[in-house]
Amino acid sequence: MIKEYFKGPVVLVARLILGGVFIYASIDKILNPGDFAKIINNYHVLPFGLENLLAITLPWVELFAGICLIIGVFIDGATVLVVLMNIVFIFAISQALARGISIECGCFSVASDSGSNIGIQTILRDIGYLLLSYVVYYRKDNKLEFFPKLI
Amino acid sequence: MNFKNHILQVNIILSISIVFSLAVNFLRPNSITLLSKDLEQADTIDIDTDEPVLLTISIDQAKEFYEKNALFLDARDEVYFNKGHIKGALKNIFFMELIFNIESLQSKEEPLVVYCGDPGCGDSEDLAYNLQDAGFTKLYVFKGGWLEWSAANYPSESIE
Repeated sequence: MIKEYFKGPVVLVARLILGGVFIYASIDKILNPGDFAKIINNYHVLPFGLENLLAITLPWVELFAGICLIIGVFIDGATVLVVLMNIVFIFAISQALARGISIECGCFSVASDSGSNIGIQTILRDIGYLLLSYVVYYRKDNKLEFFPKLI
Repeated sequence: MNFKNHILQVNIILSISIVFSLAVNFLRPNSITLLSKDLEQADTIDIDTDEPVLLTISIDQAKEFYEKNALFLDARDEVYFNKGHIKGALKNIFFMELIFNIESLQSKEEPLVVYCGDPGCGDSEDLAYNLQDAGFTKLYVFKGGWLEWSAANYPSESIE
């Protein structure tokens, strides 16, 4: 089984990449909640009015999930959250692409001239993060995990 | 594997994140409202006012503006604009180009009517706020947008 390889440095690298990506993705959004709200609004998935609430809270969930993965605290919970967020991102991007609207991704930068429009590559990237989450969730050891201590 | 424990961890991380996010948003200088506010509906329209205006208007009020030759701005994507738009409306593909086009026709103090696809789309509000930031002072958002205008068979045009 491939899961037998999910231990030691493989898991540590997966945690580091996922954690780093989510922390990095959260920073610009935390600094510019108004711009992030506009980007969420462009996706047309939320009823009018709720995009501000999501723009305020979502980046902090990304930040804390990323920190948990890196420092080795609540890794299972953080991984579940990363999976859920990626599923939501894939859904939001897919429906925008299906409707033919070309919009800023808002994945890592909320600047209107960041030039990072959504596309198939954005969905593939998120699927990559789901695979890394799979490695972390089904890991066979608990190296550099501090809470809860399982082994 | 203890899934119940994992859900508990999810709840802990979510709770901490929500508390932090709300606290930081409350304390920061560039905080935003928890729910985005709907624009106010215009009761009567006073085109000659010197006060800055950012209001929503009904289809009847939009028609009034149209008859007074006010400039209409279409906030939708080019594909939708080409399929059909309010006659004489300007498209918004590049914001700077739009500003240039508006200013070649009228001053920043003259009324502008912004619309998008239907009452549920937020693009017209976004464009109105961007125009407000760019110094335009009399902005009217026609919420009914293309859906109501085309249903009423008011003057329209398309680009084949």
